[in-house]
Amino acid sequence: MSIAKPYESASGASNWRMRKFIADFGVYIALAVLLLAATVLTPKLFEVNTIAVVMRQASQLGIVAIGQTMILLVAGLDLSIGGIFLMTSIVVADVTNGRDEMVLPAILIALALGALIGAGNGVLVTKRRVPPFVATLGMLVLVKGATQAYTKGVPGGFVPDVLGIVNQSWFVLSIPLLLWLGLNAFFIFVLRRTSYGRKVYAVGSNIEAARLSGISVDVIRISVYILGSCLAVASGVVLTGYVGYVDRFIGTGLELDSIAAAIVGGTAFVGGRGGLLGTIAGVLIIQLLSTMALLMGLDIEVQFIIKGLVILGAVTLYSLAETES
Amino acid sequence: MSEFILEMHNISKSFAGVQALKDVSIRCRPGQVYGLVGENGAGKSTLMKILAGAYKADSGEIIYKGQLREQATAGEIIESGISIIYQELALVPEMSVAENIFLGREPRRALGVLNLKELHQRAAALLKRLGITPNTRMPISELTVAQRQLVEIAKALSQDADLIVMDEPSAILAGNELDQLFQIIESLVEQGVAIIYISHRLEEVFRIADEVTVLKDGELVDTRPIEQLDRAMLVEMMVGRPLDEIFPQTQHEQGELVLVAEDISTDTILTSASLELYAGEILGIAGMVGSGRTELARALFGADPLTGGRIRLVGVDGATWSNPAQAIQSGLVLVPEDRKAHGLFTALSVRINVTIPILRRLTRFGIVRGAEEEAVVERARERLSIVMASADQETQYLSGGNQQKVVLAKWLETDPTVVILDEPTRGVDVGAKFEIYKLMRQLNDRGIAIVMISSELPEVIGMSDRILVMNDGRIVGEVGQDEATEAGIIALATMSNSEANGQ
Repeated sequence: MSIAKPYESASGASNWRMRKFIADFGVYIALAVLLLAATVLTPKLFEVNTIAVVMRQASQLGIVAIGQTMILLVAGLDLSIGGIFLMTSIVVADVTNGRDEMVLPAILIALALGALIGAGNGVLVTKRRVPPFVATLGMLVLVKGATQAYTKGVPGGFVPDVLGIVNQSWFVLSIPLLLWLGLNAFFIFVLRRTSYGRKVYAVGSNIEAARLSGISVDVIRISVYILGSCLAVASGVVLTGYVGYVDRFIGTGLELDSIAAAIVGGTAFVGGRGGLLGTIAGVLIIQLLSTMALLMGLDIEVQFIIKGLVILGAVTLYSLAETES
Repeated sequence: MSEFILEMHNISKSFAGVQALKDVSIRCRPGQVYGLVGENGAGKSTLMKILAGAYKADSGEIIYKGQLREQATAGEIIESGISIIYQELALVPEMSVAENIFLGREPRRALGVLNLKELHQRAAALLKRLGITPNTRMPISELTVAQRQLVEIAKALSQDADLIVMDEPSAILAGNELDQLFQIIESLVEQGVAIIYISHRLEEVFRIADEVTVLKDGELVDTRPIEQLDRAMLVEMMVGRPLDEIFPQTQHEQGELVLVAEDISTDTILTSASLELYAGEILGIAGMVGSGRTELARALFGADPLTGGRIRLVGVDGATWSNPAQAIQSGLVLVPEDRKAHGLFTALSVRINVTIPILRRLTRFGIVRGAEEEAVVERARERLSIVMASADQETQYLSGGNQQKVVLAKWLETDPTVVILDEPTRGVDVGAKFEIYKLMRQLNDRGIAIVMISSELPEVIGMSDRILVMNDGRIVGEVGQDEATEAGIIALATMSNSEANGQ
């Protein structure tokens, strides 16, 4: 056909490639700028010990953010993470009661309960068509209530010593960091190279088209919620080991931080766009901001204000990039 | 003041290096209809978006009502008397007809309290001007697409528009609805309104336009009075070559029976529809918008659950399906009417779009095999001559025709026995249309049965071996290719109580 040129003009091609590059890697530029600022503001950040601590804390947030990112990719949202952390912490303390050999059974039980919570979120969202915000918020309240009813307000049991291993660092490496990196590698591969990953993006991009393409959209969405909850359990185990006792407020705020990390990393709130590479940078930015604020001796209120500004700024930039097209 | 209400001089616009418009000039007199035609990507929409203030031209000037227009907001432009009715209607479904017409400009009493009485009175008066008397309190969601379009026109009138741009208004209309639209256009013209009418359907342009402007690849080909043109000339101007045969014909015998639907109904308007489909044929489905054609397609594909009747594939034991996944397994595919809403993953790459339904074939242990995927995408690109920068390009950056080809490519990879096409050439330019027709014939030659729904009667008649006509959710008649005429089909499609359609 006369109108069918094999490829569009080179400038047109570089245009969308450029946009794609900015969408994919713009957050890394922001991260670099932040690190540059840190060399002046908080040079202490670059000491090995500080890096180790930052990476360990980033890992806790990062593991949750993997699940949150995938849930956002299917146009969902998970606010129930705080409840899962509390549940995990209590299960670990209760089942092991300080016995190291019971750690594995405890983790398995917590994972099973987490999967159940995720399935509950997923079923509410898909089969009952409850908006994710409402469904997972309800689940948060439900799970927190249930754990408190179980413990009668006074958590018993002890966290086994073996979990203290999460606090050890070898140079900057630590168990949480290795876990975070490993899970990222695995899920990046899943999202990019497997049919499951393709379906996750398809469902988030256009759910009706996905359904008409023969994808079991509900199965995909429920499975992603289950994955998200299980990842929250994993992070909860790490955090429990870090804290060393059952804290009633454990993990509070991580649901919002994980959403913020994903969004700052370029994952779209409406689904179908973004990914884990961006989230890694988002997590590091959020964590660095907290640590830098701490090192500079800023008040907690100021920390929140800075964090809020960064999130709003990132979202504004992404929406500008969108409208530019 | 000059005789022109609008003059756009030497408008140029490029997007990051891609020239979308180059030195385009148009002029409009009051009380005239201007046809604006061209293939997709020719620059029609860009030009109109510049007029609407959605884009800023790189160079050129707009003189409106004798004055050079400075940069203005979309609101100020509407205020100045320019109204644009987009193809995707911009109405709030939950609000009433009257509320939509006066959205943001509601008549008020003191302290900003709405004057509901005046609101409905004025809305009714406007609709009367259009020759219709609907209930102004009815929510938009209750109206047919055609009725919604009339509400859009009423909205334009309420803004005292002197210039109305209609972007493919007929794409969603059929038969008598179209007549009604033309009557309205004629009465608007008599009232001195200038109309820019964008359409892919050349018949309509010949029917109502006084002057036609043709754009191609962002450049002005020519503007001519309609009397100096005929259809072939216009097509040649648009495509840049003569279009020999529009509907490619092949000779073939009727194949074997492949699919039988008996008395199928769904929770929609579709009632007790029965049909038989034979290998290698094209079964056309005609009817007005809202007559249940799309619902029939969705029912056949399992997209809407059946509430009655049954569908089966002949010769395949136990081949039944109750959802799209099973339908695809059984060898059916559906290319939906609303490409962007139901067919395409616009934020995802061509690669992912094309391979989504055949991931099972392309994966081992759930992992996508890159080389084979690459081969599939490359084959699709060649077979359908999809114009793309790379397989990783997001489909939102492709033209309408190329998007449709991506959707078609995706389904052809599943090796179907039955292909259901719902408005396959809607919003597609003449060149791509021809390619889609050719492709349909190739599928026929491979023994694939096609169900084609279309609002364009020439297309239905030109392509179909048999035509089923739908009316009010039922199949009301079958017409063979030899006996099919536009008048005959329209008569069947508008029989009985469907006169209420246009209200």
